[in-house]
Amino acid sequence: MGPYDSAISAGSSSGSSSSSSSKPHEIDGLLAGAGYKVRSSDLRQVAQRLERLETVMVNTPADVSQLASDAVHYNPSDIASWVDTLLSELNHPVPLPSDLPDFPDLVVSPLNQSMVSEAWTQQHQNISHHQLMAVTATEEDSGIRLVHTLVMCAESVQRGELALAGSLLENMQALLTRVNTGCGIGKVAGYFIDALSCRVFAPQGTASPYGSSYEIEVLYHHFYEACPYLKFAHFTANQAILEAFDGHDCVHVIDFNLMHGLQWPALIQALALRPGGPPMLRLTGIGPPSPDGRDSLREIGLRLAELARSVNVRFAFRGVAAARLEDVKPWMLQVSPKEAVAVNSIMQLHRLLGTNNNNTRNLPIEIVLGWIRNLNPKIMTVVEQEADHNQVGFLDRFTEALYYYSTMFDSLEACAVQPEKALAEMYIQREICNVVCCEGSARVERHEPLAKWRDRLTEAGFKPLHLGSNAFKQASMLLTLFQLRATVWRRRKDV
Amino acid sequence: MAGSNEVNLNESRMVVPLNTWVLISNFKLAYNLLRRPDGTFNRHLAEFLDRKVQANANSIDGVYSFDVIIDRHTSLLSRVYRPANAEEQQPTFIDLEKPVNSEVCPVIIFFHGGSFAHSSANSAIYDTLCRRLVGICKAVVVSVNYRRAPENPYPSAYDDGWTALKWVNSREWLRSMDSKVHIYLAGDSSGGNIVHNVALKAEESGIEVLGNILLNPMFGGQERTESENRLDGRYFVTLQDRDWYWRAFLPEGEDRDHPACNPFGPRSKSLEGIEFPKSLVVVAGLDLIQDWQLAYAKGLEEAGQKVKLLYLEKATIGFYLLPNNDHFYTVMDEISNFVSSDWTGLVVECTSLDPHLAGSECICFGGNQVSGIGYGFMKLQWLAGAV
Repeated sequence: MGPYDSAISAGSSSGSSSSSSSKPHEIDGLLAGAGYKVRSSDLRQVAQRLERLETVMVNTPADVSQLASDAVHYNPSDIASWVDTLLSELNHPVPLPSDLPDFPDLVVSPLNQSMVSEAWTQQHQNISHHQLMAVTATEEDSGIRLVHTLVMCAESVQRGELALAGSLLENMQALLTRVNTGCGIGKVAGYFIDALSCRVFAPQGTASPYGSSYEIEVLYHHFYEACPYLKFAHFTANQAILEAFDGHDCVHVIDFNLMHGLQWPALIQALALRPGGPPMLRLTGIGPPSPDGRDSLREIGLRLAELARSVNVRFAFRGVAAARLEDVKPWMLQVSPKEAVAVNSIMQLHRLLGTNNNNTRNLPIEIVLGWIRNLNPKIMTVVEQEADHNQVGFLDRFTEALYYYSTMFDSLEACAVQPEKALAEMYIQREICNVVCCEGSARVERHEPLAKWRDRLTEAGFKPLHLGSNAFKQASMLLTLFQLRATVWRRRKDV
Repeated sequence: MAGSNEVNLNESRMVVPLNTWVLISNFKLAYNLLRRPDGTFNRHLAEFLDRKVQANANSIDGVYSFDVIIDRHTSLLSRVYRPANAEEQQPTFIDLEKPVNSEVCPVIIFFHGGSFAHSSANSAIYDTLCRRLVGICKAVVVSVNYRRAPENPYPSAYDDGWTALKWVNSREWLRSMDSKVHIYLAGDSSGGNIVHNVALKAEESGIEVLGNILLNPMFGGQERTESENRLDGRYFVTLQDRDWYWRAFLPEGEDRDHPACNPFGPRSKSLEGIEFPKSLVVVAGLDLIQDWQLAYAKGLEEAGQKVKLLYLEKATIGFYLLPNNDHFYTVMDEISNFVSSDWTGLVVECTSLDPHLAGSECICFGGNQVSGIGYGFMKLQWLAGAV
């Protein structure tokens, strides 16, 4: 849509519709550009609803901003339904829906918020002052050279010119000495150089540089603490699960990767505080088998059971140990037909996108999505990395990953807490290594963008649910505490 | 609140296309929900309702965009829009900041509107507008995500604008062949106000700004002007909401004659004799604050500064958001001329739709002769050759 292409009937300044040349059932193109979905044929009706809403707002005796902020808004792009929600809200205010309690260790009221933010800014400024190193012009040049060489190296790898790749890697080790590897491009480049070296110099078939499951859990935990991404994801997923479980007395959450169960205390507490009382909660936690005879799944389950008991929530836990998600069969989850089921997958589904090793007809992802669908869950919450790291061409994957992880490291600079930050970086480094260094079944970090997931899930029979303004607000407040923008800005390539 | 609502609603429906009316009314009502009588603002709901778009390093219609952190301490982000080279591959991220390869490349620093409280650089309406500006002006556009009121009142927005200006001015990759960055400042509503104040700062500090573009700039004053009284509540905007936003932006205890609000009012500083950029000031004839905007243009002229006033008699606020009206195209053409390097000074043309006045030299605009700060026939002209 070029600058002038979308002119429909230009010059029309009367009240008549300016979309005479577009088909009636189509979405108004200009409003779409502004982020709104309104069918051209509905414009007049929507206008009338807006007029009605204005009249009601003017005539509402109580403070309309208070009323409207208490209401839960959904899908603002659909102006028609948004207006109608407000109209019914202003006419019959409904009681507040249940919400997650404030994040347990970070209780913030609006009055305290500015104080907390101020204290944080002070601390933050003090620390970053020390870390701020003057970037000289030569350093900047070296940084750019490094990036160019990295891409060149990746290209030679793609072409199979490993000798060239090897010498480029040596060049880059030398370049690294001329940049600041403590932060910025130097640091990220260092990790990518390591990953490329692994690919070029290490023989194929080496043990995956991924580490034991215990190590991964520890790193994951620190990643969780160091940056807000997972907390935000958990929070939002929990809010959606909470709403989906509304009105059900027997609920069952299936967690595709239990780890340390960090997501669940908040949900348990929210269910405990539910108006009308908590349901019976079953949690099935899937995780890798522990090699040393420990039953780590059960340990986590016991701790969560403790917590549930302390807040009077009837709770049952079941651990399902499986090396790979595709090894899990639905019968292992023992879902009862009477319970409301929530399936929760935090950064697990992309691992199923590898090629099929078994001789079954369907891809692992299709099989798994199929049986999830057959469980008929009330809701499925999926968290994935928004990145394009599963492209066929190595160079494309590499460049994309370089971009994505630079941004990640950049955002981590805002974290001042050690050793969380260092261990979080190690966690990310493992991902980088997997994306760059591994192939075939060893490459599990097969991230794909939202659009692809949306299509895939729709095809598997799932329907997207809109995030309500209350969940959005909770998540925003959480982000505010991390002194990040409430809207998460990403520098990345869109598909 | 103004008189009979039924009459008011019908009036605004008559002067804009239906989809524009739906868009602006939707904003109006949503914004009513966000402003609280006690002066606080429902920021969470505002962010939830605001339609946003992500930056896109893939070129769409010849434009690609990416976000940059300009100042970590204030979390100042900006979105950079660049024209994609037709022959080139899709830019990869290493190409994002590659040097502009042209003799003269205008760089437009854009400040979005929203009365200092609403919208962001990644709001869909402003992302769309900035993309259009790239195409129309063959420019790089840097849209600044300045801090907003009431959480960040005066002078945060100006400080952020100034930080962005310094950043743009110091980017080697934004330099034209003459090794200088060719900077223009542009903004609508509160963004227009920011343009003026950042230009002032630039002048004090010796950074050259080649031109200011102010679309329906947000100015005001303590006095109630004729246009304010006449148009209150009739075309999407009320005096009550204008007052709310000024209270939210201006320092506590200040009134609307504060120079940030009223640059040529009783507390103004003279602009005479200073090197101020040439200004393009666009005023909508159905905007209730037009008297202040016209006074601004007049103030510039009387201080001997170069200013072109574009008065669009039948335009309302936000006319430039959708390309479905004549005013939009008129303004885009003007902006394009304004930033093109071979533009030379011209006597201003009247752009009223009134045939009597169109094309006449030296006459700016028509309208009823009114008293007070109101407008009458004014003569504004570019100083010839003073590009």
